[in-house]
This record gives sequence, structure tokens and C-alpha cells, in this order.
Amino acid sequence: MEENASTAPVLRRIGVKSNPLFAPIHTLTEIRTNRFLVRNLIRREVRGQYRNASLGYAWAVLEPALLASVYWFLFIMLSGNPDKMYAVWVLLGVIVWGCFSKSLNAATNSLTNNVRTMHLVYFPRTIFPASGVGANLVVTLMSCLVILPIIYIYDLEITVHLIWVPIGVFMAGFMALGFGMMMAPLNCVQRDIQHLIRFVTRAGFFVSPVMWTAEMALERGAWGEAALWNPMVLPITMVRHGVEGKLVDLPTSIVLSSIVSAIMIYIVGTIVFSKYERGAVKYL
Amino acid sequence: MTDTSIQLDGIKLHFPKQRNIFGILADFFRKRVRRFTALSDVSLEVKQGEVVGIIGRNGSGKSTLLRVISGIYQPDEGAVLAAGDITLLAGLGTGFSPHQTGRENALLFGSILGHGEEEMLQKLDEIIDFSELGTFIDEPLRTYSAGMKARLGLAVASAIRPNILLIDEVLGVGDPNFREKSKKKILSMVEGASTVVIVSHSFGLMTDVCDRVVLLDHGKIVTIGDPQAAIKAYYDLGEK
Repeated sequence: MEENASTAPVLRRIGVKSNPLFAPIHTLTEIRTNRFLVRNLIRREVRGQYRNASLGYAWAVLEPALLASVYWFLFIMLSGNPDKMYAVWVLLGVIVWGCFSKSLNAATNSLTNNVRTMHLVYFPRTIFPASGVGANLVVTLMSCLVILPIIYIYDLEITVHLIWVPIGVFMAGFMALGFGMMMAPLNCVQRDIQHLIRFVTRAGFFVSPVMWTAEMALERGAWGEAALWNPMVLPITMVRHGVEGKLVDLPTSIVLSSIVSAIMIYIVGTIVFSKYERGAVKYL
Repeated sequence: MTDTSIQLDGIKLHFPKQRNIFGILADFFRKRVRRFTALSDVSLEVKQGEVVGIIGRNGSGKSTLLRVISGIYQPDEGAVLAAGDITLLAGLGTGFSPHQTGRENALLFGSILGHGEEEMLQKLDEIIDFSELGTFIDEPLRTYSAGMKARLGLAVASAIRPNILLIDEVLGVGDPNFREKSKKKILSMVEGASTVVIVSHSFGLMTDVCDRVVLLDHGKIVTIGDPQAAIKAYYDLGEK
């Protein structure tokens, strides 16, 4: 048994709030300092998702593949699209969009789902949305293994541009984190938020290039171009073009605006979270 | 060297009243605030080496006070100062995952309680030993009985040697045999920690271990005094 008497700890104030304006940076340092905890929480989440399933982690690949085959069938039936790669684009769209929507829902519900832990111990609450998003990133990266058989079947080349696959996935998760951190404190006050977000992620599925591609939108004139301002166009297209073996091929203005909005969403999200999280927790 | 370990200066804590969006908007425009005062003007100084008990009826703010000290709730007014690391023992086994093994859960719970990886790996054997789980430690947690989970929780929690230990009714888990062992363990933690604050309804324990006892009622401190006097004040409260 150790005695701490020799190094008497000094009296310090508990629960001092750092300036919310530094939250975008503090969020990252907090995740870093608590990485052991984050890793354990992610593991709990991922294990929980694939528990007692004989196929286990294979479901991470199977689920989007089965889903994509349904969408593909539907789309071929409706429009008779001749592009043989179309099924692949839908599959990748489903994977990246799934990463975003699951991460967003996880981050939004992260505070309300962890009440018991929050009442037990204090650690930076950023950890909750971050590990929720982190778990979905891990699952999505596993899903991305489906790209390997695709490359073989469609006889694609393995190029350095494959690096855009994880980058696109991370960007989707990053946006979900920012947006979810905005919503998490609100959700503590009114649970309507989680229902609203679930609707947003379902509706967003159609507004985002999951069943369509940026190229298809560009052929449709003004409305199609307007649809490209959706910040999710960049990560999804990035992944698709990466698999195709090229750098993301979108108008520069679209690329820049997506990157800027991702960063803005993150900055606003972390600031909102750090400003309101303490008050929101009292509603739980 | 100042020997104050925990200092509470005029703590006030309100809980917002839960209501729907229309209520929130109506209150906002009428500039009305509806809330519940959980703690009001709680001032307390705990010296190093002291064991302080908190008693009070249900809903008097005991657990809330411990949560304020550990930083879970930020007080609306007043300041909390503390010297050294704080551990709150409450709800043992919170955050356990039924699908992972006891060993993995020990690491998980340890990290939730704020331990680093090296520290946990170092203490793992001691934890497993104390939990008396034997070969069950590598079985998924869903196969455990309630008592086994509680044992694992206590084993992890008690592997900590914090400066300040806050205990919220965690005694009395498991079978009588283990309960005796856990009581001993907690008492040894109480001795090992430099400062302890205990919330309990077990007055026998309070008289045994506490130097001073605080009586809370409706979020206010009624008395601070030696255990016998505070317990007497508690019963007087009931008669009123």
C-alpha cells in the first residue's frame, strides 16, 4: 500500500471550464490522453454489434453488399442503367453513407446512452461521441475490405489512389462527429432530437450520392449541380474515384466548399458541445 | 502545508425541470426559470486523513453532493476544491459489456475509472485474484451471476489507491462471505486513502469509521458533528 503523504497534493479547483473557443483543439488532445479508454469503449461497441453471430465480423462486409444488391436490382429495373460499375458505386455509397449516418446517430445519442457511466465518474465527455464515431469507423474500415474482391472481379488496377478510401471514410466520420456533438447536448434536453436525426439520416440517403453518382448529377443540369453542394458528395466520390484509381474528380469549388464545411461543422460542434454539455447532463 | 483535502464553498446546484419544448419556449419568453434546488449553500471542509460520513433521507442530496465533489455536476454557484485524485465508488460494474470476458471487462471498467493501460495490466492479476472468479474470468460476462459481476466490479474499483475516496452505498454485494471480505477491503481502502467521504444508510458503519458526520436535508446541511450527534439529529428530523 502506497502512502501519498510525502508528496502532498495541492488544492485545486474541480470542474474548471476551459474556454469553449479552444474546444476544437482540446477535443483532439482529450481523445489522445484518454486513448486507452477510447480504445476500450470502441472495442465494447464493436464486440457488442457482432456478438453471437457465427459469421461475426463478416457481417460488416455482407450487410452493405446485400443492401447494395437490392438497390442495384431496383435501379436496373427502374432505369436500366448500362454502367457495369454501377453496382460497385452503390455499394461504396452505401458503405460511406452508412458510416456517416451510424456515426451521427451514435454521437447524437452518446450522452443519453451513457447516463450510468456519467453518473459514476468524470472524464472529458468528448470521449462519448468520439468513441461512438470511432466504433463506426472501425466497422466501416472492415466493410471496406469488400473492395479487394471488387478489384479482382472488375479487373481494376491497384493504385496509390486507394489511399483515398480510408481518407473519405474518415472525412464522413469527422463530419458526423462535429454534427453529432452539436446534437448530443440538445438530445439530453429533448429526445425529439434523436428522432429528428434518424429522419435526417434516412432522408439524407436520397439527397446524397448513394444511389446516384456525382457524374450522373452533373448530367442533369442546374438541379444536379445544386445537389453537389451537399458536403457528403466529396467523401463518397473520393472513395469511388479512389477505387477507380484516380484522384477525386469534382469541380474545385465543390471540393473546397466540402472541406471548409467539414471543418466548420467540427469547430461549431466541439464549441457547442463543450459549452452546453455540463448543463445538458443535469437533464439526464 | 495546508491540510485541507476537500473544500466546498457555498455550493448551490439546481436541476432543470424536465418539460416539453412548448414549456421551454413559454418559460423563455416569460423569463421564468423552473428548477429544482438539489443543494443550497453547502459549505464543508474536509481535512486530510479525515473520514466524513454523509447521512440524510432519500433525495436529500447525498449522492448529488458526491457527484459535485467528483466533478460530475458543475455547481451553479460556489466552488469545489480538492487536493489529489478523486475516485467515486458507486454503481460497481457500470459500463460492463455482457459480450466480453471478465478480463476484458476489468480493463474496460478500469479505464472508465481513469486508469492507464500499464497500471491496469500491472494490477490485473491482483484484481482477478481478489474477484475469486477463477476460470470464469475468461468467460463472457453474460454467463456471470449478479454477485460475480459485483465482485469483479469491486475488485477493479478497489485496486485503486486514490487520495480522496468517495463511497456511495457500495457495501453489501455478493454472498455473506464475500460481503465480509468486501467490507474489509473497503475499510482497508478507507485506511489507505488520505481522505474519505462516505454516503451510507448503515449507521453502524458510520459510527465505526467516521470522524465526523454531515446530516443533509433538502439539500442543506443541518448539522456537522460527531457521528452519534448527527445520527440523533437524523432521528429528530424524522419526528418533526
